[in-house]
Amino acid sequence: MKVTDAGVLRVNLSKGTFVEESVGEDMYKMYLGGRGMAAKLLSDEIDPAIDALSPDNKLIFANGLLSGTSAPTGGRYMVITKSPLTGTIASSNSGGIFGAVMRRTGYLMIVIEGRSPKPVYISINDNTVEIKDAVHLWGLGTAAATDKILQEFGEKRASVSCIGPAGEKLSKIACIINDKHRAAGRSGVGAVMGSKNLKAIVVKGSNPIESEEKDQFSAYAKEKTKMLKENAVTGEGLPALGTKVLDSIINQSGLYPTRNFQFATFEDTEEVSGEALVAKGYLKSNKACFGCPIACGRYTVLPGGREGEGPEYESGWAFGADCGVNDLIAITEANFICNDLGLDTISTGTTIAAAMEMYEKGYIKKEDLQNGPEMKFGSSEAVVYYTRMTGMREGFGDLLAEGSYRLGEHFGHPELSMSVKKQELPAYDPRGVQGHGLSYATSNRGGCHVRGYLISPEILGSPEKLDPQELTGKPQWVKTFQDLTAVIDSAGLCLFSSFALGLQDYTDLINGATGFSMTAEEVLTIGERIWNLERDFNLKAGISPVTDSLPERFLEPIPDGPQKGAVSHVQQLLPEYYSLRGWNKDGTIPKGKLKQLGLENAKVVLVRKTG
Amino acid sequence: MSWCGRPGKGVLPDAAQSRFAGTMIRVRFFTILRLLVKRADVILDRRGISVRDLLDDAQRAVPVPFLHKVLDDEGKMKRGTLILVNGRHVQHLDGLDTIIEDGDEVSLFPPGGGG
Repeated sequence: MKVTDAGVLRVNLSKGTFVEESVGEDMYKMYLGGRGMAAKLLSDEIDPAIDALSPDNKLIFANGLLSGTSAPTGGRYMVITKSPLTGTIASSNSGGIFGAVMRRTGYLMIVIEGRSPKPVYISINDNTVEIKDAVHLWGLGTAAATDKILQEFGEKRASVSCIGPAGEKLSKIACIINDKHRAAGRSGVGAVMGSKNLKAIVVKGSNPIESEEKDQFSAYAKEKTKMLKENAVTGEGLPALGTKVLDSIINQSGLYPTRNFQFATFEDTEEVSGEALVAKGYLKSNKACFGCPIACGRYTVLPGGREGEGPEYESGWAFGADCGVNDLIAITEANFICNDLGLDTISTGTTIAAAMEMYEKGYIKKEDLQNGPEMKFGSSEAVVYYTRMTGMREGFGDLLAEGSYRLGEHFGHPELSMSVKKQELPAYDPRGVQGHGLSYATSNRGGCHVRGYLISPEILGSPEKLDPQELTGKPQWVKTFQDLTAVIDSAGLCLFSSFALGLQDYTDLINGATGFSMTAEEVLTIGERIWNLERDFNLKAGISPVTDSLPERFLEPIPDGPQKGAVSHVQQLLPEYYSLRGWNKDGTIPKGKLKQLGLENAKVVLVRKTG
Repeated sequence: MSWCGRPGKGVLPDAAQSRFAGTMIRVRFFTILRLLVKRADVILDRRGISVRDLLDDAQRAVPVPFLHKVLDDEGKMKRGTLILVNGRHVQHLDGLDTIIEDGDEVSLFPPGGGG
């Protein structure tokens, strides 16, 4: 099977039917696959203004162009839908082996439509597709559900992607978990799956994927793998300490959000850092996704025997510094609970942090907690307890499950939600990194660090070191990073590869796999097309450009640490950013820009292959 | 050289004291450097010294070679190396020529990343 031969499986859960469709080569040239191609299908096929949890929404499991090939880090897939948390387009990225196994079924994408009248799961064994009863699985955690489904499937080398109780109960911060520990984490994609009464998808495939320029692609794959292995970040730092290599870097740089972003340094970082995870003996090994030479995943065993993957930097921070908690066991425990109940760790931890601030300020009363422990910063008991309650939507957890913005609205203080477009911000105080702040404000899926990771140049010095407080040039950096990230996501590669690889490397791999002869500039234009497509979706969904902003807190000076006194200058950067994007001054997209990018075209209609 | 704008500084020490009294500087090791040298920091009694010289002194005080993780063969900072003086990257100060003062804290990180 050639890279561009993969098809689309369209499953209608309302009718209990499915069809196979094929994707034309033009779609690959325009969108590569994954995030980009699925965004095109979603934009064409749904009204962006619909209720995200209605049967009219669609849920797309999408592999990137190179997912499942020998391209290094080609083990990523994405879930694209309309988000119930933000109202924007959602595209959540995950690793493990699910994407690569799914690709071997011959399907680049699985499009889920409608709503099943009862809980079901979808079983795909090459091109044998079945919609199976899942009533007996409803209510199970992701680990137990995965084990049960694999047992029923009865074949080795299968992979399961599923939801836990959080998704079933439509928590707006529910995620989708594959291979027990890997999350398509953000934007509440798990709730959309739950709204369709879809518990899981199990896949097994046996179709090898062949590149068009076999020898050339193989040479490129080897060359890029070598680059990743020899790079200090991807070859040494990430394998040794995982993403938690960042705790001390970000804290020492004065950007480590603490106690719901009230402070920017955490006094107990040494207790919860990546170094501490090693020193305390909890880290047992690193772990790789399919086809990845980096192996940044953590496999952790806690005293008492609880084990699993994590915590990653963001998860550890969300339950740690952001909640003022210095107990690495409780932090890891909360992470494990999220994996099993199917919750986004960033949004869960940050929502609890917001609740802690509201409680300490007296906006949330003790009786509101419905007999739960006090919501005080530093309470490891509260973090573990309320994480579980959030996943089960029980007691006060029912409100937490709506995310921090709606929680804040409920108690009359939405300004204490550290979110953009109602999605919780990750682990970098934007006042200390001006480009990264602009990236937060303009992300197409709301508060997010992986749509344009400006921490890389502004703090980590890759590809070059920029002054984090400098404003000049930052809008151009943000635009370039956003467009390049859209390429990497749509190619099905891991964003971490970009610590070692550049645009030309990705262009080599894309051309080698497909036989295309695109220039690096043309590939970057694909990223720009995808960015504008997503923005256009959001505008049609009613997401105003006014929401390209940060919480009011970031206009107040950082009170502590090396960046003391810094404030965000996002509003100063926005006009230049809009101009570089070719957008109107009010942040809308002129028709001419859409035409220039080929986005004014008629809707794509996929060709039905079988009945 | 410029010491201006350096964050995290308290009141500057009395000039006479600074000149004649010993100055304690803390050099902190992070991430894989800490795994390598198996210690969190080293305290050096120095004053008015450049980061470059401080690194040499820190290396002499630690039995395990570590400088190759942060400097290249020509003694320049490797791309992605972070050397922070009171949380500020030396590249935005005077690079390896940045002068370390009384009570400064120097944090060393080999190239790192994640997210």
